[in-house]
Amino acid sequence: MFKTATLEERRRYYREEWSEKDLPKFITDELRMREFGFDHLGHGPNDRYKVFKGKDSLRRFLRYKTPFAAYISVAFYNNPRRRGDWLKSEYVFDVDAKDLPIRSCDCDGVCEICLSEALEIVNNMIDTLEGDLGIKKIHLIYSGRGYHIRILDDEIMDSDSELRSEILKYVAGAEVPKLKYGNISEGSGSSYNFEHFSIPIAYPKVFTKRIKYNIQHLKGNEEIDDINKNLLKDIIKNRDLLDDDQWGIFRSKIGPRRYKNMVTGMARVNLATIDAKVSIDLKRILRLPTSLHSKVSMKCVEVKDREWFDPFKSAVPKFVEERK
Amino acid sequence: MVLLSFINPLSEEGQEIVKEKGDLESVFSSNDELIYIVTHDKRQNIDDDSLIPESYGDLAIKRIQWYIERKNNKDFNNDDYSYLFNEEITEADVISFHLISQAIATKLNPNSREARFFVESQGKIIEERLVKLPEQERKEIVNRILNQLIFQENINWKFLKELVASKKISLTDLVLDEGNIILDKEDFINRFGDKFKDRAPDRMYEIIIGDSIKELILTKMIMQNTENYLQKIREMSSKIEVHPAISELSEKIAQSISELTSKYSGFYGVGGSEGSMKIGKLIKEAFPPCIATTVEGVSSGGRNDAIVLLLTSFVSYARLYPAIFRNEGVDVKVSDIDPNLTITLNEILPLIYEAADNCSPPLFDDQPQEKINITSKLGFGMYENPELDHEGETTWYTPMSCEKIKMHLPQLCRPDKLCAKIGNPLSYYSRAKWLMEKEGKSANSINSNNNSNGDSKNNNNQ
Ligand code: SF4
Ligand SMILES: [Zn+2]
Repeated sequence: MFKTATLEERRRYYREEWSEKDLPKFITDELRMREFGFDHLGHGPNDRYKVFKGKDSLRRFLRYKTPFAAYISVAFYNNPRRRGDWLKSEYVFDVDAKDLPIRSCDCDGVCEICLSEALEIVNNMIDTLEGDLGIKKIHLIYSGRGYHIRILDDEIMDSDSELRSEILKYVAGAEVPKLKYGNISEGSGSSYNFEHFSIPIAYPKVFTKRIKYNIQHLKGNEEIDDINKNLLKDIIKNRDLLDDDQWGIFRSKIGPRRYKNMVTGMARVNLATIDAKVSIDLKRILRLPTSLHSKVSMKCVEVKDREWFDPFKSAVPKFVEERK
Repeated sequence: MVLLSFINPLSEEGQEIVKEKGDLESVFSSNDELIYIVTHDKRQNIDDDSLIPESYGDLAIKRIQWYIERKNNKDFNNDDYSYLFNEEITEADVISFHLISQAIATKLNPNSREARFFVESQGKIIEERLVKLPEQERKEIVNRILNQLIFQENINWKFLKELVASKKISLTDLVLDEGNIILDKEDFINRFGDKFKDRAPDRMYEIIIGDSIKELILTKMIMQNTENYLQKIREMSSKIEVHPAISELSEKIAQSISELTSKYSGFYGVGGSEGSMKIGKLIKEAFPPCIATTVEGVSSGGRNDAIVLLLTSFVSYARLYPAIFRNEGVDVKVSDIDPNLTITLNEILPLIYEAADNCSPPLFDDQPQEKINITSKLGFGMYENPELDHEGETTWYTPMSCEKIKMHLPQLCRPDKLCAKIGNPLSYYSRAKWLMEKEGKSANSINSNNNSNGDSKNNNNQ
C-alpha cells in the first residue's frame, strides 16, 4: 500500500472491482448537475468540465479511461459543463492526515497512526456539527489520505463563503473564546472574566476540547507561532494535569501571560488542521467516492460507521492484497 | 411603558405612525410639537439653536450626526443630543427613520457609506435607548420585541445566518445546542444544569446569556432588517417618482456626512496622530519579503492567490488604511478613504496589474477573469473594474496573516529579521516605515510625499 498504482492495476480496479452500486446516493441523486474532473497522468486534474448524464455513462468512462484520479464538484450547476448558473454547493471540511500540524507519528506521508488521529479529529468535528449546530445531512468520506466531511444541509448549501468561514471557526475551534461576559453596552452593570475552561458548554467547551486534544498529542518538536520552545516544554511537562481537567492548576503552572500565548497558538493550530480554502470554495472538485487514489493505492470510500472505520479494512483495493 | 417603535421603528406600530403622520409635504416645515419636546427635555443643551431639530428632516440628519460625532469627537457632549433618548420623541423619530430610509434607498445606494452610517447609527441608538430604560421595563420591551421578530419558540441559528455571514453576530458568542440558540433560562438550566460543577447554573445563565445576548440579537436583527428595508425600497423605487423633499433630504444627508467625516479624518483622510500609520504613498522599500517577491512576479504555483488574495489586500490597505488591525471592528470601505477612487485606479490597481504581468505566465494572459476577482477583493463586486455603485457587494478583503501565508503560499515567505516581530505583512510594513522614519532616512520625503500626492485634494472633493 501507499505505493503508486500502475496503469495495469488501475485497469483491474475499474474493470473488476469498481461498481456503480457503491456510489453514494448523495452523489448520484443529482449527478448531471455536477462537474467532473479527471487526472489521467498523475499531474493533477486537468481534464475538467465533464458532465455525465447518469451512472451508466460514468461507468463507461471510468472503465475505458481508468483515470489516475477522478473528482466531482461540490457545486451543483444548471450548466455544469461551463460551471454556469451555480445553484448551491456542499459544505466541506477537508482534513488531510499528511498535513496535520500536530500528530504523534513520524512518517512523512500517511500511516496508520496519523490516519486514525485524523479520524478522531473528524469525529470530534462531526459531533460539534450535529450537537451544537444541529446539522443533519452529513457524510463522511475517506479520501485516501484523510477525510472529507461533506454537508448537504439545504440552508448551508446556498450560503456564501462568509457564512462558511464563520461556521468553520466554530467547528474547528479556530477562535479564542471571549474572556469577558456581561453587558453588551458600556456603562451599566458589571462584567466577568472567564477562561474558556470555566465554561463547560457552548463554544468554550468546543475550544477546550480541541486544545486538550492538541496538547495531549504534542511531540515536542512542533513549530507553532506564539508557542516558543520553552513554553512548549512546559506545556508537555504539565499536561498530565489535563487528564482530569485540572485546567486551573495547569494554567497557573504555565503562567497567565504565557497561557494566553498558548491559547492563541492553539487556535491557529486548530485552523491549520483543516484546509480552510476547501471549506470556503464554492466550486471546488473533490475526489469521487469509489474512485481510486492512485498515488497511495487506496479507495476513496464513504464511511458508514465513523466510530469504527478502518481504512485498512475498507479502503484497500484487491490488487494491493495480491501485490506481493 | 415606552412604545415598541421607540426601539424598533420597523414594527407594525411604527408603520402605522408613518401612515398616519408621515406627510411628505412637511418634511422640512417647522414642527412645533417636536421643538417643544426637544426644548423641554431636562438634560438637553438649548443654548445653541443649531442643536435643536426643527423638522422631521432635520431630525433625520441629526440622528446620523449624533452617531458620527459620538464616535469621533473627543469633546462629545451627549446633552447636545439628549432628546434622541427621550421617549416622547418616538413619533417624530419613527417618521424621520422612515424618511432617511427613503432618501438613502432611492437617491443614494443601499451599499453606500451613507447607508452604512445610517444602519450603524440605528444600532447604536437602540443600544443607548435600552441602557437608559429602567431595568424591568428594559427586560419587558426586549422580550416583547424579540417575540415579534422571532416567532418560534426556539430560534435555530440558521434563522440568523445573514447576521452571522455579515459578522454582525459571531456564532462563537452564542450558546448553541442542537442548532438552537438558547435564550430562555429554564431551557438553559434543563439543558446544561448538570454541566456546572462549582457554580450555580442560574447564576451562570445570568452571566453567559442574561439579557445581553438577547439585546445583541435584537439590535443586530433590527440593523439587518433596516438593511433589508433599504433594499426593498430600492427595488420598488424604480417604479415610483421620488418626491422632491426626499431628494433634498438625501442631498443634505450626504453633505452632512461628508463634512463630518472630513472633519474627523483620523482614518477617513490624511492627518491623525499616528505618525507612520497615516495614509501615504507606497514605500516599496518597506515591503516585507513575501510582498516584494510577489511584486516581482510569481511563477506557476500559487500565482493566482499571491496576486489576488495577498497582494491586492496588502497594497490596498497599505496605501489606504494601514491601521486596520489597530482599529478592530471598524468597518471601512475603500471609498471612505478614497471617495472618487482616484488612488485606487491610479496607484493601487496599476501596481497589482504590473505584478500580475510579471508572473510567468502573465496572470491575465490565460486567466483574464482574475481581474474580476481582484475587483471583488476590494469590495466592488464581481466586475472587471471597480465602480462606486457596486461597492459593498463584496467585502474589502483584509490582508492575510503570516500564518496563512505560510500555510497557503509557503514559497513566498522568506522571513528576515523584522519578520520575527510581526504577524502580518501589513504590520511589517508599518514597522519598517516607522523604522525608516526614525533613522531619518526618508522621514522628510515620506511626509512631503504625503502632502503632495493629492490626499488632501481628494478630501476636499468629498
Ligand atoms: S514572515 Fe510574514 S511578512 Fe515576513 S516574509 Fe513571511 S509572510 Fe511575509
Ligand atoms: Zn503518520
